[in-house]
Amino acid sequence: MDAIHGCRGWLHCRMGGFDLRLDWDVEPGQALVLFGPSGAGKTTALRAMAGLLRPVDGVVEIDGRTVYDGSARIWLPAHHRQVGYLTQQYHLFPHLNVMQNVGYGPAKRTAESLRRISELLDSFELAGLEERYPWELSGGQQQRVALARALATEPRLLLLDEPFAALDAGLRRTVRQELRTMLALNPVPVILVTHDREEALSLGDEVQVIDGGQVIDRGAPVDVLGQPGQAEVARLVGVENLFHMRVESRQPRDGTMRLSGTGAEAGFTLETPLGGRQGASSEEEWITVGIRASDIILSSGEPVGSSARNRIPGLVARVEPRPPGYTVELDCGVPLICQVTGASLDEMGIRVGQPLWAVFKASSCFLVQDGPAIHGENRPDGEFRNLDYPQ
Amino acid sequence: MLRRFPLRWPGGPGGALGGAAGTLYVIFIGLPVVALLARAAQQDDLWSAVTGDLALTALRLSVVTSLISIAVVIVGGTPIAYILARSNHWLARVVDGLVELPIVLPPVVAGVAMLMAFGRDGLVGGLLRDAGADISFTTTAVVFAQIFVAAPFYVRSAKLGFQSVALDYEEVSQTLGMSPLATFRRVTLPLAAPAIITGLGLSWARALSEFGATMMFAGNLLGETQTMPLAIMTAMETDLDSALALSALLLAVSVLALAALTLASRRRWTGRV
Repeated sequence: MDAIHGCRGWLHCRMGGFDLRLDWDVEPGQALVLFGPSGAGKTTALRAMAGLLRPVDGVVEIDGRTVYDGSARIWLPAHHRQVGYLTQQYHLFPHLNVMQNVGYGPAKRTAESLRRISELLDSFELAGLEERYPWELSGGQQQRVALARALATEPRLLLLDEPFAALDAGLRRTVRQELRTMLALNPVPVILVTHDREEALSLGDEVQVIDGGQVIDRGAPVDVLGQPGQAEVARLVGVENLFHMRVESRQPRDGTMRLSGTGAEAGFTLETPLGGRQGASSEEEWITVGIRASDIILSSGEPVGSSARNRIPGLVARVEPRPPGYTVELDCGVPLICQVTGASLDEMGIRVGQPLWAVFKASSCFLVQDGPAIHGENRPDGEFRNLDYPQ
Repeated sequence: MLRRFPLRWPGGPGGALGGAAGTLYVIFIGLPVVALLARAAQQDDLWSAVTGDLALTALRLSVVTSLISIAVVIVGGTPIAYILARSNHWLARVVDGLVELPIVLPPVVAGVAMLMAFGRDGLVGGLLRDAGADISFTTTAVVFAQIFVAAPFYVRSAKLGFQSVALDYEEVSQTLGMSPLATFRRVTLPLAAPAIITGLGLSWARALSEFGATMMFAGNLLGETQTMPLAIMTAMETDLDSALALSALLLAVSVLALAALTLASRRRWTGRV
């Protein structure tokens, strides 16, 4: 395969009750993750890129070729776009066997194309299953056949719509690894839609968080999804602990500040990284802070000699299984959600009513804004970059 | 096909009731068929009656006209069924309602209506005659009548067949580089094939048995518009034995066709479409 170019463009689609706007630029071998809740417009975006749906306006460029340009009235139908599109349910043709599914596509039955198909079958560990029909395959095998079928046409862009949604949790991890390897061998630009944070973190080179048709956050997956800087994103990503607190004091030397709760949460104070409006005035300053349950350590006695700046006592209010471990809700004046493994739960004999200490670093606390946060490159919000690169 | 499960019969009162009703039903359907064959077999000259001029002329006319009708129904009905399955346009909804009208319309009424439209003094009959096409009481009228009553069965079944093929299959096929037409041929049609073949069977059977509309619109002219059902009725008035022979012949042709269609519509694949 010749070296292929990236995929870039911007789109404005009208869907049901709202408008969808996004722009992207993905290099071959890179994966852009569109992250968001169902109904956010992620699938609509993929379908518009593939040519299965007509946007209101936009530009789609695949491998240096403009396949759609709203103002220039350019529109290539799906079968001329050379796009691999993997749907959630794979949609393997039920009347065709594995060989016929992978070999589907207009390519002539040359020795060359047959060799490529058998190579793909080998690398996806499907050799020996050529004669099987889709219903005779496991979920993981079906997924691999669908991916092999998409790659067999030598696509210039790979669109993956929740590619792991139909797999069980155990298989998901393995298949994700396989996909990573496959993409390294077949470097095409990849755009992947998911609402699974882990998937986004392990596969994405860039992530765009979409909600209600708008990109509300974008950047490197670890930045955007690890410690989301925006309340809306934090909610979508599922940050377990979000507190609205008052700034008590700042320690610029340490790069930290001290926050406290009010009312029922009066006793609850946190030490967090410095942030918010600097050069405090006389008025009170309020800040929203997020803490991931997995960043909190539980201790049965007051931890001594720990460098962690936050040590909060509380009583166990609730214990619930949450694979791969357990969720422990600690009543510290406010409920604090922590995550522990089954082994820790047994070892510490955690039960409801037990007093425990929650311990976490100041750096585990991240500040959450209400406005849009932009990671990495600065991009004007709601505006799209001009696509004036050489053809 | 492999039998993967042991034979089952539902238990309880439902199973017993179903069994009793099923037995009665089989007798109800089977008895007349057996009676017809038994009476026909009692004739000494059954074979000569079946291969006689009267029978073969009527049979040939029936087979030829019904095959022409079915060909027209396939060519015209398939795209209509596809559009009805995929479109939510109000026009498609209107057509969808009209398509099934002939199913509920008594065939005799259909025949009268066609006479009023295409007959000599019909709405467009004059125009047709000026154009040199006199339709009523010709073999063409037989085909017209058959298409009128038989088309809905095909369109209805094919529409359901197309609806059962998720749009996603067509879309995936297109992203794999297949044009919409190639996609239809290689994905949609094979996946909808069982329903289409079923529709074909129903529709052809309906065309073959068409009587009322043909009688009204095409008449009962020997060798020209006298199809098997009309020949049977005509024979019934004078010669019961001849009518029995013709009936047995039509029954045999129908059963053979039904068996062939059942075999053809068996899916070789399973799973969700």
